Amino acid sequence: MSVELEVHDSQGLATEEMTLNMGPQHPSTHGVLRFIVKADGEVMRRAIPDIGYLHRSIEKIAEKVGWHGFMPYTDRVDYVAAMACNQGWAMAAERLADIEVPRRGEYCRVIAAELSRICSHLLGVGAMGMDLGAITPFTHAIREREMIMDLIEELCGARLTFNYMRIGGVAWDLPHGYVEKVSHYLDHFEPVIEEFNQLLGLNRIYVKRLADVATVDADMAIAWGLVGPNLRGSGVDFDVRRDIPYSVYEDFDFDVPVGSGEMGTTGDCWDRYIVRIREMDESMRILRQALAGIPEGPVIARVPRNFKPPVGDVHVKIEAPRGEQSWYVSSDGSEYPHRVHIRTGSFTAMGIIDRLSRGLMIADLVAVIASMDIVAPEVDR
Amino acid sequence: MQAFLDTLLGDAAGLERQLGYLAGMVVFGAVVVFGFVLPFAGIVTWAERRIWARIQSRVGPNRVGPFGFLQWLADGVKNILKEDIIPTVADRPLFRFAPYVVMVGFVGAFVCVPFSGDLIIADLNIGILYITAVTSLVVVGILMAGWSSNNRWSLLGGIRAATQIISYEIPASLAIFPAVLLSGTLSMQGIIGEQGAAPWQWHMFHSPFTLLGFGLFFTAALAEGNRTPFDLAEAESELVAGFATEYSGMRSTLFFMAEWGNLYVIGALVTTLYLGGWQVPQFTYNPVLMNLAQVGVFMGKSLACVFFMIWLRATLPRVRVDQLMAMCWKYMVPLAMLSVLGTATMMVALPNGSHTLRMATFAVVVGVVIRFAFKVRFHLKRARKLDYTSLSPGASQGLSS
Amino acid sequence: MSAVTSWLQNVTTSCSTVFEGLSITFSHFFRKPYTVEYPDRMETRVQDTLPFRYRGMLEVDLEICTGCLACERACPIECIVIDTTKDKATRQLIINRFDIDLAKCMYCGLCSEPCPTGSIHHTREFEGSDYSLESMMRRYVKFPVAAYKPKKTAEDDPEIMPVLERGMRYLDEYAQPEAKPASGTTSSSDTADPGSGPGGAA
Repeated sequence: MSVELEVHDSQGLATEEMTLNMGPQHPSTHGVLRFIVKADGEVMRRAIPDIGYLHRSIEKIAEKVGWHGFMPYTDRVDYVAAMACNQGWAMAAERLADIEVPRRGEYCRVIAAELSRICSHLLGVGAMGMDLGAITPFTHAIREREMIMDLIEELCGARLTFNYMRIGGVAWDLPHGYVEKVSHYLDHFEPVIEEFNQLLGLNRIYVKRLADVATVDADMAIAWGLVGPNLRGSGVDFDVRRDIPYSVYEDFDFDVPVGSGEMGTTGDCWDRYIVRIREMDESMRILRQALAGIPEGPVIARVPRNFKPPVGDVHVKIEAPRGEQSWYVSSDGSEYPHRVHIRTGSFTAMGIIDRLSRGLMIADLVAVIASMDIVAPEVDR
Repeated sequence: MQAFLDTLLGDAAGLERQLGYLAGMVVFGAVVVFGFVLPFAGIVTWAERRIWARIQSRVGPNRVGPFGFLQWLADGVKNILKEDIIPTVADRPLFRFAPYVVMVGFVGAFVCVPFSGDLIIADLNIGILYITAVTSLVVVGILMAGWSSNNRWSLLGGIRAATQIISYEIPASLAIFPAVLLSGTLSMQGIIGEQGAAPWQWHMFHSPFTLLGFGLFFTAALAEGNRTPFDLAEAESELVAGFATEYSGMRSTLFFMAEWGNLYVIGALVTTLYLGGWQVPQFTYNPVLMNLAQVGVFMGKSLACVFFMIWLRATLPRVRVDQLMAMCWKYMVPLAMLSVLGTATMMVALPNGSHTLRMATFAVVVGVVIRFAFKVRFHLKRARKLDYTSLSPGASQGLSS
Repeated sequence: MSAVTSWLQNVTTSCSTVFEGLSITFSHFFRKPYTVEYPDRMETRVQDTLPFRYRGMLEVDLEICTGCLACERACPIECIVIDTTKDKATRQLIINRFDIDLAKCMYCGLCSEPCPTGSIHHTREFEGSDYSLESMMRRYVKFPVAAYKPKKTAEDDPEIMPVLERGMRYLDEYAQPEAKPASGTTSSSDTADPGSGPGGAA
């Protein structure tokens, strides 16, 4: 491998910079990420992200499969939290064609999306522990995720690629006894988060590994386009659900957790971790309100099978678990979208890693990737 | 050992007696290495997987043999049968030699590990020093493996292991001192002989300083044995598999056998130094029965330590390499110094020891254990019972748990 | 002085949080494992525990297939291929070919939604691994058959009746949410067998 530059230590001795190839097959690069790490021993000089290993041209596929047919593909944009992508696509198409979604449909969407958000955050924080060497919290998180998966499976028949939402609403109403089942589950889940946080999040070793590491201050986070929990971890109080309300989110009373540097400086890895933990709590609050207040009525508006929205462009923002997801959809009035663009949270998080990695240790790179909750398919799409 | 052999040899004398001693040591050594050490390393992998599984709400390996007990044997056979790959760019002689060095360092320690009052391969008068020296050989092997693999992850792993083990030798050795000071000998049997059967007669409870020494020695031994939270050398999420990345088949098994077998060495050392070793009350004068009881007690204590290490590994995340160093030099070395000096001061101030102090220290530990039990109860109570299967859509038909 | 206090604080917090963590992990020795031992050590097959909506491998009841091609059009990946001809003499629609390539199928469920009779539907079978791609191709039409024609009156053919009934129930419960008026917060689409939950409805 090529030697990029020579490094001279204080005595003037020439040492070589080491190029490490981290990924695409590496235990801690979630999915197939690749980093070219320039390291001086344990200390990194740079970690250059190399993306594109999971590129599936999902945006191009949209131009070929039509409006209804693209819905299952949105599951694959971010397969850890497919509900959010479903919702983004459905909302974009609805806004183009000016379709009003029935209120029960919106409530079903919120319930599904928040369950999916808890799922996604559980995987995120669990994998974070795993990357830092704690094996048990991961399995505990996966256990809870599995139970939510069971709930979602009952709702829509699949565990990962939900394909639950449709243009105009959701495909299926809540099954029999679903409200009780979810409330029962939430009762169980509440102390689990607390326990998880005591086991992992407050552990001194864990805190030391994350606090003051890879700090992103508010200005930097905005400048680099961080979104979602990564942005809120830096102390920026912004949540699409609250600030640009969509669906029925303005009906619900919930807080937006923001990182405040409890264990170190604002915007360090630990803040990003705790924001995710607290977001699960807030999701539970939303879920309880949604379950209590779900109205009667149909769950889907009448949408023709041969859906042809009028000519126009639309830009929709939703709050996905990995941050604000923007859908730009352009229609030329035909049965196929003219152009679809998806801007996802992991992509920008991936961009900042090069900047953050300078001067950190190799072990910290793992922590940074995990704390940004990067999911490879969402980076490449 | 000699005393035990004396009773067996009867009145043989001279050369015969010496040969008898030698034969006894060789036979016992072979029994220990092949009948205990090597299977133990395997069995610990099984135990670790089962214990982890329970902690993680899983079942763990349970298919091979009763409770999956023979899993380790199946894995061992599989590893022996696997192709042994040596990378073309690797330094072949070093690469092949490294696992054996590690193994020698690990098995060599058993020369001085006691099993009972009489059962020990050789009760060297510098026993504890010998073990400290011989286990350091493991570093050489790991460094050889890391270097010769010609892989940067391996190299990083090897270097990490070397820095870690060498640094932690210091607090580990310092933390041995309190026990040695109290016993006035370096011989393993001598150290155990100074302690008593009752818990408060153990070195651990001599004074708060020895309690501190016990904790420090345990932690430093964990670090020397490359165990979580100090398993940086093979941190899988960072360095793939560290120094063992390029190893396959039997060679990698040797590394891991040494690693898991080392757990017992650590447990035995802790037991010897601080937990009263094989001491049992004198309940019979039959040497065989007595020895059996002592083996049982010693093994029980050592295995409890092994269990604790496995349990700790399932709980804690891993520290970073600079934090590891900071922890060693900023926290453990000063504390170890304090422990040594404190013990020495105590010995000068109270030459015969203080029974009250012993009981007080013992009471503190018992208090901690009781507090722990209450904590566990709290966590069990807090967890709201959820019949997992009730969530499953097929609940009416009943899922097996 | 603050250096010493922070030093001591580091030691104490480390010990107390490790203690806390150990107590949590220890408490799990007294809790039951969550996992099941798939596939051979389960009381019931996994398939039987899945919800009614589970989107497993597709199946077609040719007896009630109307040959309307709705599923073929809905499929985003064109894994369904149907070939129909009109028999001039009997004025019947003949299905010559009805292939589903399960290797391509992504189990999205879009095909079973527009089906008017519930002929194409998901089963709860998911163990579909095979050694060749060719064997993943399901060919439902062995020889050309006449398509089903919905009757004005209730179905009376004893052979088709149970199949159609099953198909319609499938539609009720699965495919046509907009057709059903919601009847309460716990209203559900699986009214067929509320006593045993959705899993027992199949």
